Amino acid sequence: MASTKFILGMRDAFFNALYEFFKRDPEAVFISADNGAPTLDQFYQNLPNQYFNVGIAEQQLIGMACGMALEGKKVYTYAIAPFVTIRCYEQTKLDVCAMNLPITCIGVGAGYAYDIMGPTHHTVEDLTVMRALPNMTVHSPADAYCAEALAEISYRNPSPQYIRFDRAGVPEIYGEGHFNFADGVLLTRPGGSIALVATGIMVHQALKVADELAKAGVQARVIDLCRIKPVNTKRLFEYLKGVNRVVSMEEHFLAGGLGSLLAEIFVDNDVRLPLLRIGQDDRYVFDNGGREVIWEKYGLDVRSMTDRILRWAK
Amino acid sequence: MQPKQQNALEEKALWVRSKVLDMAVYAKSGHISSAFSQTELLVALYHGRLMNYDPKNRRWEGRDRFILSKGQGGIGLYPVLADAGFFPLAELDNFAGRDSLLGVHAEHHIPGMEILSGSLGHGLPVATGVAQTGLLRKKDWMVICLLGDAELAEGSNWEAAFFAGSKHLSNLVCIVDRNGGGVTGFTDRIEFPCDGPRMNPLDKKFEAFGFEVRTIDGHDFGQIFAALGDLRQRQNKPPLMIIANTHKGKGTSIMEDKRLWHYRVPAGADLAIARADLGLQPLPVNDRPVNVEQGE
Repeated sequence: MASTKFILGMRDAFFNALYEFFKRDPEAVFISADNGAPTLDQFYQNLPNQYFNVGIAEQQLIGMACGMALEGKKVYTYAIAPFVTIRCYEQTKLDVCAMNLPITCIGVGAGYAYDIMGPTHHTVEDLTVMRALPNMTVHSPADAYCAEALAEISYRNPSPQYIRFDRAGVPEIYGEGHFNFADGVLLTRPGGSIALVATGIMVHQALKVADELAKAGVQARVIDLCRIKPVNTKRLFEYLKGVNRVVSMEEHFLAGGLGSLLAEIFVDNDVRLPLLRIGQDDRYVFDNGGREVIWEKYGLDVRSMTDRILRWAK
Repeated sequence: MQPKQQNALEEKALWVRSKVLDMAVYAKSGHISSAFSQTELLVALYHGRLMNYDPKNRRWEGRDRFILSKGQGGIGLYPVLADAGFFPLAELDNFAGRDSLLGVHAEHHIPGMEILSGSLGHGLPVATGVAQTGLLRKKDWMVICLLGDAELAEGSNWEAAFFAGSKHLSNLVCIVDRNGGGVTGFTDRIEFPCDGPRMNPLDKKFEAFGFEVRTIDGHDFGQIFAALGDLRQRQNKPPLMIIANTHKGKGTSIMEDKRLWHYRVPAGADLAIARADLGLQPLPVNDRPVNVEQGE
């Protein structure tokens, strides 16, 4: 995996691309709840009338975004993922989704990205709650190329959106080849009779698990569900053609997350494929030591997931 | 204010209260006491033309934006909007009924409404976003946000006040309907555990957040006009906070400043008293009171 184009990671790839739209559109505004990024400096330095900081006040963040969107602004809101989602959830429900306004909510630190920060900063329920809201589009990119593409995709979409980013340092996946991110689902690696469907950081884990499975003689394909809502079921089923087992992999609570979502889609479409859901059980994580420690302890590391899939698929 | 104009506004206020009572009795639902505390404020804004609006062009760019934060006050706003021409008066007769335009909480699809209301603590943050946009575009329209006082226990209001004060949102005018009552108790008359939390000193709180505060009698048209008369001459001033001291259930002896009337519709003898207080003809009375618990 070459890691040269986006040194700063997916969030900054997104902001740099978004900046180009902001330069051309004075009606686009960015509101931060006192959260920064190296690539955000250009917004407030060069576009002072398009950048606002409400302080650490997420209800105000979303409420103010609503007021500006009502007046015709294209609004982006930004904070650490747990705070921009569940902290101000009712504002998102009523002030954004129920009024169907062009507000894109950016959350950084998906899953256990803020590993040693504890459950306050872990974001392992956002997919469940954000996809529950009518009118909402939810994106969960796996690398900076996908994130960069989301700048234009979000800018062109006049509806409520939520985009969750990982922290910096996530390697690139989609530098080579042609991937249509607007599809919302990507066949990251083709082949095999087992499909590993993942989102966000877990796409990287899925690729490693596929490598390990191959060593054990089991071929698996990897599908990246980078858009959680609305799911492009047509394309998903196309990518699932020929598989006889499906594994969902998420760094997220199992309740209502990616695996739940696949189960819903399968039931609703009479798809009868065995589905193994890998994710976080019903628990808060207080373990220190880093993300890989969390993965090891809770079965989200490559070894554990590979062994589990091999046992299940035997 | 000319006595003639004052009389006309007072008559209108009485008509609004009568309509609200009819609507609530019809629907067996509605926040009458909340609507009665805000009546003169709304009549002054709309009929008194303190606000710029055009019912024939409800999205007119130059209109003043009225943000109803105390969404349960919708029942009291509907007669005012209908009378101003935003929608037919006949809509009032089917309040909250099947296919009605008008629900218990005022919603953004109703002509004259800017936002979805009903959950408290949403109006002021939204109003700051509207006001900020108006200043960015150098517009001279105003943003007028009507809040309940018990609603101020919602922390989101203070997040918004923090922002509004520090950003000097001079085009933002907040009016607190200071009726002193919440759902179960009083805000500053602490007699039982259901009372509180205390709001006072409310003026000092908002002054500390950077607002210019004016305290008035919210049922006195003279004071309302005096407090709101200079709205368009306040460039470069701090946001304005009008604390309008009012009485919950104003105008009806059974409800005025009484407990348990936040979300209760009178029937039987209570209704007869309320109608008599408003100068209305007696109706055939029902045999038992409607008493619906909960709701904001």
